[in-house]
Amino acid sequence: MKFWVFVFLLVSSVGQAHPVSYKDAVSLVSYNTSEMNEILLTYSFTSNLAVAGTYLRDTTSEFYIPRLNWLVKRWNNEDSQGNIYFSAGSGIEKFEMKNYAADLFEFSADWESRKYYIDFDHLYISRSHNKNILIPDQHYNFTKVRAGLAPFLADYSDLNVWLILQAEKYSYKSNIEMTQFLRFYIKNTLWEIGARFDGGGAFNYMIHF
Amino acid sequence: MKQFLISAMVFLSTSLALASETITVGVKGMVCAFCAQGIEKKFMAQPEVAKIEVSLANKFVKINFKDGKRLSNDKISEILKDAGYESKFE
Repeated sequence: MKFWVFVFLLVSSVGQAHPVSYKDAVSLVSYNTSEMNEILLTYSFTSNLAVAGTYLRDTTSEFYIPRLNWLVKRWNNEDSQGNIYFSAGSGIEKFEMKNYAADLFEFSADWESRKYYIDFDHLYISRSHNKNILIPDQHYNFTKVRAGLAPFLADYSDLNVWLILQAEKYSYKSNIEMTQFLRFYIKNTLWEIGARFDGGGAFNYMIHF
Repeated sequence: MKQFLISAMVFLSTSLALASETITVGVKGMVCAFCAQGIEKKFMAQPEVAKIEVSLANKFVKINFKDGKRLSNDKISEILKDAGYESKFE
């Protein structure tokens, strides 16, 4: 279960917090639940390529995964924006004082306007060991869909509020897990409060420097 | 008298040319505060720019230049491209 929480955290991209930002942008993202903490630091060295580092800690393992995020295609429309991203990374999982390899590949696509938002993610992770009995699977796939609605339109300097519903599907499970989020952001700071339908909460934040 | 008038006209035209200028540029794809924040930051890093006003509702950036300074339309387009967006000049 811990590993799936890890996966959830690793891919639960904050809506509208794109994997690649403007040239020279630095982004700090943190995902937190009662069991896990993750810090993700991203530097966009062009407007379509970014390097990022993930640190994640749970009760059994620590993960250190540097990754590259690539904006494959962006559609800048009059009232909306669409994006396709691809990410790849390779790092280590530290478990019982030993290091093991961990690789990830992620595809994501989103479309957003000032009123609506939809996001699709698919993640593949490969781990080099299965010694952790809490997280025995070495290879798996994970799919996530998010949809958001802004109950009112706010401008740049105003407080923006969004209602978000998230559905997740793990390759080893038959059911789809649902989470509702309430998101706030103003200028360069964003924060989210989430509640899973099967229990548990989440708090995420993001800052652009 | 004639020389005085010519001097006055030259002075006035020079003053007008050096006065601060404002330009409004449409931005395609700018739909969120993070988009706007990036655009604001990129423009404010330019020495020619005194102030930026971003409107998500009206989909534009209003660039206020320092006295006698100006960015070309090509440069403005390049800055917006670095921010990930497309410019739209009237």
